[in-house]
Amino acid sequence: MAAGSLFLTQFNWSAFINALVLGLSIASIWLIAALGLTIIYGAAGVINMAHGELIMLGAYSTYTLQTSFGIPFLLCIPLSFLIVGAIGLLLERVLIRYLYKRPLDTMLATFGVSLVLIQGTRIIFGSSPKYVDVPEFLSGSLEIGFVNIATVRILIFVVTVAVCVALWFLFFRSRFGIQVRAVTQEKEMAASFGVNSGRVYMMTFALGAGLAGLAGAILCAMATVLPTMGGNYLVPSFLVVVVGGGALAGSVAAGVGTGELQSIFAYFTNDTFARFVLFILIVVFLRLRPQGLFAPSAKRR
Amino acid sequence: MNLFHNVRAQWLAYAVFFIVLALVPLFVGDDVFLLNQLSMYGVYAMLALGISLCWGFGGILNLGQGIPFGLGAYGMAMTMQMQTQDEYNPMPPFMLNNSLTELPWFWVPFGNTTVGIILSIAIPALFCAIFGWTMFRARVSGPFFAIMTLAMLSAIGTLFLGMQPYTNGANGLSPPRSLQLGELTVDPYSPGSYWVVFGLLLIATVIAKLMTLSRSGLVARSIRNDAERVRFLGYNVAAYETMIYTVSGIFAAVAGACMVVLSQYVSPDQFDPTFSLMMVVWAGIGGRMSLLAAMLGAFLIQGGQSYLGDELDATWYLFLGTFFILVVRFLPKGLVGLVESGLGRIRIGSKRNDGDSAASEVSLNPQPGA
Amino acid sequence: MAIDRRKFIKNAALGSAAALGAPYAFTRTIGQAWGQQRWVSNGAPIKVGVLFSLTGDLAVPEEDSTLVLQYAFDEINANGGIAGLPVEPVIVDARSDFNVYTERTRELILRERVVALFACYTSASRKAILPTVMAQNHLLYYPTCYEGAECTQNTICTGPLANQHSKDLIPFMVQQFGPRVFFVGSDYVWPKESNKNAKVWLEAAGGELLGEEYVPLGSSEFGPVLNKIRDAQPDFIFSTVVGASDIAFHRQFRQSGFSAEAMPIASLTTGEIETRAMGNEFGAGHFLSAPYFQGLDNPTNQRFVEGFLSSPYGKNGVTHYNMEETYLSAYVFKYGLEAAAAAIGLEEVTPRAIRDHSAGIRVEDDISPEGLIWIDENNFNTWLKPKIGQCQGDGTFTIVQASEEHVAPDPYSIYPELGVCTTNGLVAPDGRVRTNVI
Repeated sequence: MAAGSLFLTQFNWSAFINALVLGLSIASIWLIAALGLTIIYGAAGVINMAHGELIMLGAYSTYTLQTSFGIPFLLCIPLSFLIVGAIGLLLERVLIRYLYKRPLDTMLATFGVSLVLIQGTRIIFGSSPKYVDVPEFLSGSLEIGFVNIATVRILIFVVTVAVCVALWFLFFRSRFGIQVRAVTQEKEMAASFGVNSGRVYMMTFALGAGLAGLAGAILCAMATVLPTMGGNYLVPSFLVVVVGGGALAGSVAAGVGTGELQSIFAYFTNDTFARFVLFILIVVFLRLRPQGLFAPSAKRR
Repeated sequence: MNLFHNVRAQWLAYAVFFIVLALVPLFVGDDVFLLNQLSMYGVYAMLALGISLCWGFGGILNLGQGIPFGLGAYGMAMTMQMQTQDEYNPMPPFMLNNSLTELPWFWVPFGNTTVGIILSIAIPALFCAIFGWTMFRARVSGPFFAIMTLAMLSAIGTLFLGMQPYTNGANGLSPPRSLQLGELTVDPYSPGSYWVVFGLLLIATVIAKLMTLSRSGLVARSIRNDAERVRFLGYNVAAYETMIYTVSGIFAAVAGACMVVLSQYVSPDQFDPTFSLMMVVWAGIGGRMSLLAAMLGAFLIQGGQSYLGDELDATWYLFLGTFFILVVRFLPKGLVGLVESGLGRIRIGSKRNDGDSAASEVSLNPQPGA
Repeated sequence: MAIDRRKFIKNAALGSAAALGAPYAFTRTIGQAWGQQRWVSNGAPIKVGVLFSLTGDLAVPEEDSTLVLQYAFDEINANGGIAGLPVEPVIVDARSDFNVYTERTRELILRERVVALFACYTSASRKAILPTVMAQNHLLYYPTCYEGAECTQNTICTGPLANQHSKDLIPFMVQQFGPRVFFVGSDYVWPKESNKNAKVWLEAAGGELLGEEYVPLGSSEFGPVLNKIRDAQPDFIFSTVVGASDIAFHRQFRQSGFSAEAMPIASLTTGEIETRAMGNEFGAGHFLSAPYFQGLDNPTNQRFVEGFLSSPYGKNGVTHYNMEETYLSAYVFKYGLEAAAAAIGLEEVTPRAIRDHSAGIRVEDDISPEGLIWIDENNFNTWLKPKIGQCQGDGTFTIVQASEEHVAPDPYSIYPELGVCTTNGLVAPDGRVRTNVI
């Protein structure tokens, strides 16, 4: 009803372009939330159900750094990357490395991890939402012609692009990247060339966790810091990874696609309906192309 | 031969389990709360049974069991809601507040109790058949299928939240009266309701057990171990997977319907991913390879939540999460794996080796991936 | 008791013999013994159930409700209890899970035999437990604002209904800032019902509704909604966004270049707790309608705020409208029970009798921090004075307007065709009475 009338009477180009720009911003949010998951899944085939909780830890580490140590917000972002990366490293050593051969069990074990992390956070910090202070320039917006966009969204977008570029260099232009790709494609062969696959998995998992921490740090400028906040990002990031097929380029494409679609559907109808349509579209898409947009190799998991 | 794998011994264990359950109402006395609570555990056990069949036996990890559960629950809630409507008030009150002027067409069949109850089971079954067939035909399996069920669960939860005029949105449906079957009022606190729930659980268990013992069960089990090989042998893998997934969905739908009879409430919260994951936790902790162990897992965890939860308070989920991680890490077959290896020490001669854990030869690598 | 048990075993045996269809098994003969068991007896403490979530998502508002009830019962007990008997709250954790809400409700009523329940913050949890409460003819104190459109014989509500909440707020905002308004809410029943009421007041005040948007519960993405608001250019926003979303909404509102001076948000939910979590600068300048603010200037409130914050229960450092409404419910219960005891004798008191004798119960301004309130004689909601506060830079609220008159609660104000809620049920225009309408 409201949807139809909006579509017929109030359609105007400036608003639509605003929706497209916003779509890019939503895409960058979903993408940065999904990057860590992509890397861990792409390299090690592990589906990390605790990914959302690692994002939440990133937000809480920013909160703690800021309130207890007075560290400015922008500096908290790389620090959260390191802190959550270290937690990821620990997690990999203690638990995940025993489960690489059992992909379904990794999902379940990481679900157990997410229960522990949520409840642990709740015991330490309480269940009430936490407040993270952001610099003044992040609480305004930028107006270019009729396009209006919040500066914090620009920051998220820039960071996402920067992280993607950095990851591309890491995976395709560095020695570590060659090792990761070698292990992903043929673990035994890589091992016979002297690549320590255990170490590669460990570093990839830590990197993925760190990226989740970074996402959490930057997203808490917009979202609400709560022990359960991770749940909001879990399903969208899974979808980005699944649609993208586990490859970096795939996730970027999937992130942009789903973010734009969400924004456009939300423009024409409403948020709830947009979500539903998007999920259904993804199910249909995967029916047609189960390997995702960009399958990393011929090998299907 | 391990007694654990003796089919006759297994049937005996099931018989003991259900006889004990059947006698419970005679001993709880006038603690109607306990009776009602135990009936509810029967619902959880039925969910765990479905997960065990689907995941332990068919190798299909289903994180969206909440879909058939919720659909069954909504179907029953709509039936019970319609029972309280009469010719003067043909529509549930919440619809009037959402400016509907007549009963939506898909509510109309639920006006007839028999049709409503049939639909509560048929709609989720149909959904599972279609969704399963679509996915399995595309050879989506393993973790991918798990994620798709999770996404579908979110989508349906969102839909039920969003369709407020038809579903009352987040507030859910709370039929104000108990279920009427003809002249009979099904009192959710009565031994009768308890026996109905556990009777249904018994039927479901027997069906599931017979499935695991049948020839097609053998095929399904081979699919779990290596789907490609079974496909090369000329079996229609998707059909077998869809069958298992649908039967497990039907169990969940029955559980959903029973839950509403017992609690007179359903809301989109039934589609919450955490609840569906908890069902997997029950089966995983008890032992997904054994139907009985999965059901006991549900009793154990839900009982723990009800009775230990208050003592442990905030640390309950911490405790549960850690416990689950340890079970997954060290006991991939769940707690029943301990029983299995314990019984394995006792040598008993038996020529038959079949049943739940015929997969024991692959027990060291129970998840062959997909 | 013994006879009943024997009878029960006979029935049970019959039931199993005649298999599942036997009607005997479905009738609860064991339950008949309850009728003789007293709810309140001389010399024993009065047990009440306190059922809120102490863990999980809903713990944010509900933990405070539990704390303030403990404070209230301590205060009541220190002043001689109820009818000379001490109150013993049975506190349980609902874990933000509706299955636990229903399970615990049964446990409290059937096993603990509490005489009244104080429970629930969200409408969904209330709907979850109401069938049980009604089936046992028990009594629920629901101490928060809700949408109305409910008429049961087992509920007493001490918060504002949708028809009371925005009655003053909308005309005030239209007068102060202009007639053009945009509605934003969380996607569930209460915001939609509140908005229907608000539209009535808006029309009366000569305002114009530019758009109405709902975001999923818990969502933290307000980009699309804020874009629509930017297109519509309203004079003010009327918000019924709740919980974590509300915090995200206020932050993104300012981050997207809007300001409270140019386009204030008039909210029904953004109180002291929310403002603190979003950061004071994001809340400053916006408006809230509520019957109570921590900053209310009267001696009773001063005593309440100081007493509560210095008690062991005041650890969260704030008194909030929702907490005050919960505090009042304890006193409404006290007076209701005393009235029932005076009328039919203490040991004859049943939950339903307390409810029936609560008609017109008054909580005077020497007890009630928000000032005199009373319980409606027909629909058992509360007569109160909604107030409008503006959030200041330090996160406190200044009262900018207080209602002159008490506003009557009317759960069916926008659905007159459905009838009028009376003490015995919903009386339809054709005179038919329906009980337990939920």
